[in-house]
Amino acid sequence: MITFNYIASFFLIALGLYCIVTKYNLMKTVIGLNIIDYGVNLLIIAVGYNHGGTAPIFTPGELNPGSFFVDPIPQALTLTSIVIGACVSAMSLALVIKLYESYGTLDTRQIRRLRG
Amino acid sequence: MNFFDYHHFPVYSIMVLFLGAFLIVLMGKNKTVRNIIAFAAMACSVACMLALFKPVMLEGEIISYWMGNRSIAGGYAIGIALEVDALGLFFGLLISSVVFVAGLYSFQYMSHDDNQQQYYTLFLMLAGGVMGLVLSGDIFNMFIMIEILTFAAVALTAFRNQVYGALEAAFKYLVVGSIGSTCILVGITILYAQAHTLNFAQLSLLIPGNLNNATKLAFALLYIGFSTKAFLVPFHPLAADAHGAAPASVSVLISGVLTKSGIYGIIRLTYFLFQTMGLGSMQFMLVFVGCVSMFVCVTMALAQHDFKRLLAFHSISQIGYVLTAVGLCTALGISSGLYHAMNHTLFKGLLFLAAGAVLHETGTTDLGKLGGLSKKMPQTTILFLIGAFSISGVPPFNGFASKWMIYQATYQKAVESGNIGFLLVTVICLVTSILTLASFVKVSQSVFFGQLPKEYENVKEVGLGMRFAMGLLALACIVSGLFPELVTTYITEPAAAAVFNVGNYISAMGFDGSAVAAGTVSFESVGVWTPVSWLLVLCIALLAITIVALAGKYDRVSAHEGGETVDTKYQLFYGGEENVFSQVGGDDLFWGFKHNWKGYFNFMHDMHSGIVNDYALWAVVALALAIVFTQIVL
Repeated sequence: MITFNYIASFFLIALGLYCIVTKYNLMKTVIGLNIIDYGVNLLIIAVGYNHGGTAPIFTPGELNPGSFFVDPIPQALTLTSIVIGACVSAMSLALVIKLYESYGTLDTRQIRRLRG
Repeated sequence: MNFFDYHHFPVYSIMVLFLGAFLIVLMGKNKTVRNIIAFAAMACSVACMLALFKPVMLEGEIISYWMGNRSIAGGYAIGIALEVDALGLFFGLLISSVVFVAGLYSFQYMSHDDNQQQYYTLFLMLAGGVMGLVLSGDIFNMFIMIEILTFAAVALTAFRNQVYGALEAAFKYLVVGSIGSTCILVGITILYAQAHTLNFAQLSLLIPGNLNNATKLAFALLYIGFSTKAFLVPFHPLAADAHGAAPASVSVLISGVLTKSGIYGIIRLTYFLFQTMGLGSMQFMLVFVGCVSMFVCVTMALAQHDFKRLLAFHSISQIGYVLTAVGLCTALGISSGLYHAMNHTLFKGLLFLAAGAVLHETGTTDLGKLGGLSKKMPQTTILFLIGAFSISGVPPFNGFASKWMIYQATYQKAVESGNIGFLLVTVICLVTSILTLASFVKVSQSVFFGQLPKEYENVKEVGLGMRFAMGLLALACIVSGLFPELVTTYITEPAAAAVFNVGNYISAMGFDGSAVAAGTVSFESVGVWTPVSWLLVLCIALLAITIVALAGKYDRVSAHEGGETVDTKYQLFYGGEENVFSQVGGDDLFWGFKHNWKGYFNFMHDMHSGIVNDYALWAVVALALAIVFTQIVL
């Protein structure tokens, strides 16, 4: 199962990159960024996963050397990563709205005033 | 607990900037209150860094600071750490002082803009993000700081969203910057999966001896991530777009501070985390990328029509020098690279501020429209010329000192390793320097000299606040150029020595770093002053130029007789008396050179297509190449 997580996460990252590189619509570029973000989140969670482990929540004294639980640090990292992903979406969508207002199109091939 | 113990100063210098940002959101409606808060935050940050100068730089202490006093349990770091060695302090000092100067400048420069409250918030967030990055001892904390600075930089790029192309530049920067940040995050995740720690010192202890395919992949991902932050080739178009659109005070931060954070990341990655710089192939990779950045960007700069866009390409060209010097893996190389990084921040800051002054007074940065401003803005002209001489490496200024050291370092590397390729690097450095001078001749000709267009008859000198900020940087350019020994002895050599003492860095955090051998640190240069060897280099350069001239179809006749109509604007070069007094446009100064190289220039122009998909494709290709390269050689 764990191997499948890794394969799926790298597949999602590659899919997102493919989407950004080949699609000429700004909205699809933003969607590509989001797909990469999901892939990364899945990867981080997969790194911390222990098969059969419990949730890493203990009261003082409950934790003993025999406790078997999933790694809590990647879960904390994932929360941060999700927040950052939301920021990327919000900011890029705001820019897309402004771009549509001033260029009248969402086609990346026409949004290229700065070149050369 | 003593709050004024200097061990707390690193965290203060980061915290005051973020605190200032939040206070401005809360109570920055009033202009005076806002400026006082921003000034106090920036001044505190600089003061904290200066106070650390004596213990860290001179006495060689490495400050380790555990947030919340959670340190090591069971041999693993469980808290977030700050760690300040001479290298971190070098970048911290540089960044906080440039932020301070750029802040002083923006009090007057931004005074006509709307939403200044948001501007100062983002400005301080950006500064705090970079400070946090260079002082952090925790790799995930570094990632968070990178995200903060990327977002702040993107938002500031689009701050004047009515400016031509600002939104577009911000969007491209966001897309490719996010790909870079994602690479860093994936790299960190892989390192965590391998070593089960996020502490930088502990990773530096665990990773180098246990390289496997996964950690090699992580190396490639982290390298690409940091090179997006430094805008190295192939990410340089983003820098050009962002600088052209951003306000000048933000351009100073993007060129002087953000690119340094990328260089800092690459030094930490290669010298500390993986300790792979002993390998010839790794040196080749950094020097190659540095040389390509250097040459491609300087030629791109020659073909630009916009003042700030031109400066942006030069900025990446100078970063190429820094990376080349750092990639040599000699003490002299790193010392000279850091010296050049410092000088680059100073003179490039000065040049961007001068461009901002021109924009502030005339409302344009188009080289074709400007001219003759030296009559109206004499002090800005002098300050600009100091910056231009510095970046071109004219002797009394600081650019000469550091570039000379880089030539020495590359030459010394060639002598020591017996590899003739490093001599070629010296030649590329020299040629790039000449092309830099050429394009600054073009800029000063088109902006400050020549004829003054009618519509700028009423242009006045900029205000005292802006001139003061530029004057500070100009003074720094001259002082650091006149006393290179002082700068190298007290600032760059301790930092370079820290790079070779990874064991100390690990031990200071509480892990056993004694197994990591310290490198030999010698700042002696061998045989560099012998004139014969330089004559030899000159001969090689002349030979190279001859070959290029011959290979470049050097054919004067065909330009006029080959069916092309000769443009009348070039007639002043051979048109006799009636055209003598007409204005020579900046674009026409080097038309012969550009004509001979038109294949190259047209190719580069088409490559920089401005389509975000293309830039994303370059990022993916660079990532793929880096992964393949590291899997093979590491």
